[in-house]
Amino acid sequence: MAHAPSTGHQEQHGLTPRQYIMLGLALTLITIVELWVSYSGMARSVLITVLVVLSAVKFAAVVAFFMHLRFENSLMTKFFVGSFLLAVAILFALLGLFWGDLQPARIALEAVSGH
Amino acid sequence: MAQAVAHGGGHVTSTGTSNRKLMMWIFLGSECLFFGSLIATYLIFAGDVIHRGVGPFPHPVTINGEHHEGILDIPLTSTSTFVLLMSSVTMVFAVYGAQHARPKMMKLSTLATIVLGVVFLGFQAFEFATFYHEGLTLGTNLFGASFFVLTGFHGTHVAVGALYLASLLAASFRRNGLGHEAGEHMEIAGLYWHFVDIVWIVIFTIIYLIPSE
Repeated sequence: MAHAPSTGHQEQHGLTPRQYIMLGLALTLITIVELWVSYSGMARSVLITVLVVLSAVKFAAVVAFFMHLRFENSLMTKFFVGSFLLAVAILFALLGLFWGDLQPARIALEAVSGH
Repeated sequence: MAQAVAHGGGHVTSTGTSNRKLMMWIFLGSECLFFGSLIATYLIFAGDVIHRGVGPFPHPVTINGEHHEGILDIPLTSTSTFVLLMSSVTMVFAVYGAQHARPKMMKLSTLATIVLGVVFLGFQAFEFATFYHEGLTLGTNLFGASFFVLTGFHGTHVAVGALYLASLLAASFRRNGLGHEAGEHMEIAGLYWHFVDIVWIVIFTIIYLIPSE
């Protein structure tokens, strides 16, 4: 059953210009924080965690608000988020498959360097 | 059974949303897989270079008591990251202008996005040339190979995006501009551009910010 067609005007959803500017400034601020964190000298595991979290926040903000996914049909969300999760799974699978290949080189290097 | 539903633009589709917009989202999903595999390859190979002690290295590293400086220029790339981020902001204004029948805003913002994208490419070209002169090429080591392939493909995507936007900008100067679906045309282009930006967000963090050791 077809619904009555729309008048042809463009779908308008999203933030106001002022909100887009505020979001842009927030993303810039997060980038500055990421830079500071990378030079801070904190422990590697903490550093990686903080940087990944900050990047994830930026990623989500751009996808949700700049790309309007938050205001879109759920079908778009399923396609994009599903593909993204699949890409992450493939990334971890590749790392898991090939990480072991690095171990002989690492062991040899540690043996030569003495630590 | 899916019902035919009208959406903005007047076309009736079975999904209730624009087929063209859906196509772009599906394409971007495939691009996630593409860049995900390139990033994984970089992570594996860059680490291997350090463990084998074969430079140049991405970040400062000490091997066998000998300190090696990293080749990556963080301040330079931070600047180019800021430029690309600002291009996303101008892109959003271009889409806003198209959707709210403000052609001047749309045209100026599109032009600004193109300019910022080209500036980003200029930074990339400068970085590539510097690395070449410092001895890092596609064939130097696995870090060089994976780095240039990953960032090269991203740069190519930026260049294609700039050409895409330039064609829309040129079309907007016709008598009827981009037509009554100008908002959708710009929105679809915006999706591609923002995706290129978020891929760079990931690349910048993984390659430049996270130290090797």
